[in-house]
Amino acid sequence: MTPTTPIDRSPVRARVGVRVIVLVGLLWTLVPLAWMALSSFKSDTDVTSPEPRVFFEPTLDNYAKLFSGANNLGPYILHSVLAAGISSVLAVVLGALAGYGLAGTRFRGKKQVAFWIISTRMAPIAVVVLPLFLLFRGAGLIDSVPGLVLAYLTFNLPFAIWLMSAFFSEIPPSVEESALVAGCTRWQAFRHVVLPLTKAGLVTTFVLCLVFSWNDYAFALVFSGPDSQTLPIAADQLVTQTGIDWGQLTAIGTIVVLPMIAAGLAVRRWLVTGLTLGAVTGE
Amino acid sequence: MRRLGFHGRMMAPGMLLLAALSFIPLFTVIAMSFSRVRLLGGVSFEWVGLQYWIRFFTDLDLGLQWVRTLLFFVLTVGLEMGLGLVFALCLWKLARGRNTVLSLFLLPMFVAPVIVGLLGRFLTDSTFGLYSWVLKLLGYEDDILGGGTSAFLAVVAMDVWQWTPLIALITLAGLTSVPQSVREAAALDGASGWQNLRHIILPSISSVLLVALLIRSMDAIRYFDIIAVTTNGGPADATKVVPIRLYETAFRFFDLGYAAVIGLVMLVVSIIIARTFVRLLDKKGLAR
Repeated sequence: MTPTTPIDRSPVRARVGVRVIVLVGLLWTLVPLAWMALSSFKSDTDVTSPEPRVFFEPTLDNYAKLFSGANNLGPYILHSVLAAGISSVLAVVLGALAGYGLAGTRFRGKKQVAFWIISTRMAPIAVVVLPLFLLFRGAGLIDSVPGLVLAYLTFNLPFAIWLMSAFFSEIPPSVEESALVAGCTRWQAFRHVVLPLTKAGLVTTFVLCLVFSWNDYAFALVFSGPDSQTLPIAADQLVTQTGIDWGQLTAIGTIVVLPMIAAGLAVRRWLVTGLTLGAVTGE
Repeated sequence: MRRLGFHGRMMAPGMLLLAALSFIPLFTVIAMSFSRVRLLGGVSFEWVGLQYWIRFFTDLDLGLQWVRTLLFFVLTVGLEMGLGLVFALCLWKLARGRNTVLSLFLLPMFVAPVIVGLLGRFLTDSTFGLYSWVLKLLGYEDDILGGGTSAFLAVVAMDVWQWTPLIALITLAGLTSVPQSVREAAALDGASGWQNLRHIILPSISSVLLVALLIRSMDAIRYFDIIAVTTNGGPADATKVVPIRLYETAFRFFDLGYAAVIGLVMLVVSIIIARTFVRLLDKKGLAR
């Protein structure tokens, strides 16, 4: 389990080369994000200065503007938190039950069922959006948070089922068996013995579902309206209104990105399992 | 319910909901592809037979958009795999600070693609963009998102920026699980660094690389957000990939039947890729 370090026989030149590549990689990765965060504290003239300004008088104007006046960000944040949060909680709860069932059982056609689950996760978003648009229109779910919750479940639920089943199959069957021998009912064994063992799985699944749905743009673009628009839509709307207020835009960007970075890094240890749907057990 | 057994009962709620969320839309989109869909005064379908399917096979623009999607796919996934492998190897060689560097390197993965796109526009703006300014110093004066080739390369670069970390992360996980003994044996036999990489390291992480490749492939085929907010398919269709075309067919021209045909074909392509994914992994003994 501990990461191994290679036997380092490489000449100094190679080691310097490695450092240079890592440095370039970090610059390529971090400069855009740092520039976004930096710009969000700039005044309008500093943001749109033809010569990039690294030193400037910091101001909170952009953030202040986002929370006052006509396009107050409050409702957008609320919609994002509700839609992404509820959808992720539902996905984790249903995913934990179904994932446990899937991991623990054998039946004919199980492979086909597993493939069907993963294929609904990987279906092109636009293909899902299209019929859902008609169905939601018929059911009156357009421009509502429940509609978004349901829409996000189309990708969060299969993801959660698959991932939780990966985590559950890591737990040796003997653990559950001994709980049953000790007199637990099957539900008690699941609830009090097996489930607590996969706390990491639950948290990872929740966080990744949250990131996917918080960051969603395609579904929100089609399904949401004034009563349900989310943060990515708010960011996009700043563009289509008369000109682009880049100061406010970088501020929104920072607000959208920061919580997901924090959440993502919190589950870093299990990211490989999560993002490969458990197919790689390298960690 | 009794006959399902405990595991079956545990699976039931999630699976039933998933079935509803996937089969009802699937049948709807199939029905749409044979119908003229009207939205006024409630949703109604009017059967038109194979009309949209025939149009699909004679649509030259769409053919071109598929070629562009393929080109985009090869470029992004290829660059991401190459760069991701290089970074993973470098991170692996990094004795100190590996975890900190890795954490920093992963940040783009958590950024909403729509923000990646908007940030890309900000950085490449011809009057005040940071990257335009750098390019101007190097002698490149044109508007990046205004030219066909440069816009295409720009959206490729944005996707590469966002997803190379994922490949690096997965590859690094593979590298750290290569048994020490294998590498020691190779070093004792006097293998050079390159031989070591080519004959020892790459083969032992090949299945991990495969997973990375296929995970990225599934996403690259549905790539939408970044292009939608940067160029929206332009300039002069230079970045119009199939998902963008589908979106505009459906939600700008409300040609829902035809959009359904395009969507179903996309679905088939992605299922073929997913099948390959599962089959290859099965062969490697990794899939459950």
